[in-house]
Amino acid sequence: MFDIYLPIAELSVNLLVILGMGGAVGFLSGMFGVGGGFLMTPLLIFLGIPPAVAVGTEANQIVASSVSGALAQWRRNNVDIKMGTVLLVGGIFGAVVGVQLVKLLREIGQVDLIISLSYVTFLGIIGTLMLIESVRAIRRAKAGGPVSTRRPGQHNWVHGLPLKMRFKRSKLYISAIPPLVLGAFVGLLAAIMGVGGGFIMVPAMIYLLRMPTNVVIGTSLFQIIFVTAAVTILHSVSNQTVDVLLALILMIGGVIGAQFGASAGQHLKGEQLRALLALMVLAVCLRLLFDLVVQPDELFSVGPAFGGH
Amino acid sequence: MAWRGFLPIIFTFWFVSQSFAQEDKSELIQSDISSRNIAIESNFTGERIVIFGTIENSQHSEFEKALYDVVVAIRGPKDTVVIRKKSRIAGIWINADSYTFANVPGYYAVLSTRPLGEVANRTVLNAYGLGFDSLILRPLGPNAPATAANGSINIFRSAVVRIRQKDGLFSYKPEGVVFVGRNLFRATIDMPANVPVGQYATDVYLLRNGEVLSHNRSQLKIHKEGFERFVFSAAFDHPLLYGIAAVIIAISAGLLASVMTRRD
Repeated sequence: MFDIYLPIAELSVNLLVILGMGGAVGFLSGMFGVGGGFLMTPLLIFLGIPPAVAVGTEANQIVASSVSGALAQWRRNNVDIKMGTVLLVGGIFGAVVGVQLVKLLREIGQVDLIISLSYVTFLGIIGTLMLIESVRAIRRAKAGGPVSTRRPGQHNWVHGLPLKMRFKRSKLYISAIPPLVLGAFVGLLAAIMGVGGGFIMVPAMIYLLRMPTNVVIGTSLFQIIFVTAAVTILHSVSNQTVDVLLALILMIGGVIGAQFGASAGQHLKGEQLRALLALMVLAVCLRLLFDLVVQPDELFSVGPAFGGH
Repeated sequence: MAWRGFLPIIFTFWFVSQSFAQEDKSELIQSDISSRNIAIESNFTGERIVIFGTIENSQHSEFEKALYDVVVAIRGPKDTVVIRKKSRIAGIWINADSYTFANVPGYYAVLSTRPLGEVANRTVLNAYGLGFDSLILRPLGPNAPATAANGSINIFRSAVVRIRQKDGLFSYKPEGVVFVGRNLFRATIDMPANVPVGQYATDVYLLRNGEVLSHNRSQLKIHKEGFERFVFSAAFDHPLLYGIAAVIIAISAGLLASVMTRRD
């Protein structure tokens, strides 16, 4: 009785399952302060939603979750608008390229493969790094030693590039090239994977651009809103793979879940939670890898023909 | 005024001649379908349809064994599809070989009183397009010429049928048509939630001794309705507006969430 027909995905799903998934991923987002796109898109794929529709729809949902996140940061004056805009210019470029790439891959029947491979690669790297980092932190906490936060040096190769710009809020005078390239890369990932890309953007801002940590989250969320909005519109135009009904259900679940997640996160230990998240990320990665490596029961697949011959 | 008196006589004669004329008329099949219009709305989980009908001028006497066969074929809108086969490349299963077939029905169901092989021979079945073997899947595109030679195309053809069967879009029920009375028959088919939208044709064939005696067609339309229709047509007819609307909805949802959950 809770089955609902999704107009773009063109299949019937259980409303409670989708709400629950939105809630669960929203809970994790609230708890860890991560976007959740990198978990939601694979979950939608596991549920049988066509990968291209999962990507386009998830980009749409991320617009909603980053708006509320960015607003909270904005109120605390934690957004570097100028840096965000430079990242955004690169991001839009990356999004345009990425959406066209998805269109091309759909035509040659390789979109599912590339989405899965991208996820296996990124989830594998991120999951492993997170696990190592959190295990170290747990050990350090047990040893009772001080939690050292390595202060990055003042100069690196980034500072030698031309086209320098002054970013007042970040107290930086650096070349516009690294943020443009970074933005483009993350825009590309947003279009192909249906993620906000915070998991790449945040570390890159800290270690590559050397931005102060207090403006990193806000600036990242600021540009994610616009990049995922662009990805949503571009996918709608080029691929018709945005299912607004599915996105809306995920948004509702996500908002509710994020509330519980945020309050739960305040009472729990950070390192253990991060280790748990890392294990979940690796589990999703392994499941996707398993599907790629193990011989499928059905080697054939039928799809619509695109364009004329 | 005298001719008025003749009128009932003329009518009586006409009726009598009609009924005599019918006696040497051949058998006719009449059928209808339980719903001619299926609307896909958000609560759509598939639809059961019933095809029923009767044989007029039946020569079936009470003590004879089944004289007639009835075959029902439901055909959905045709489309061009690509079928791809995965191969192991560098340890990963990747779509490699593919064929493009034109005019593949998006839905195809065949129901009959007996297995098709017993109902009629191959020539008749092919002529009327009954059964999966009679589906003509023509290859398109650059791969087409090479395939006819190596015969691998048949593997792809049967894979199309197999996958569509698994998805519930192709079905064959050899005992799907049942006679309720001597001349009254009924066939029931469950259409899955993933049926393609469009114009469907339901053909009902009456056969005797492997020959088609009569054929009757009814149309069936499957379309999206209400919210589903609105969303679907917006997405495909006005994709830019659709995308902008999707973003506006998401931004509003985000703003609403932040207003509702703000604690300061």
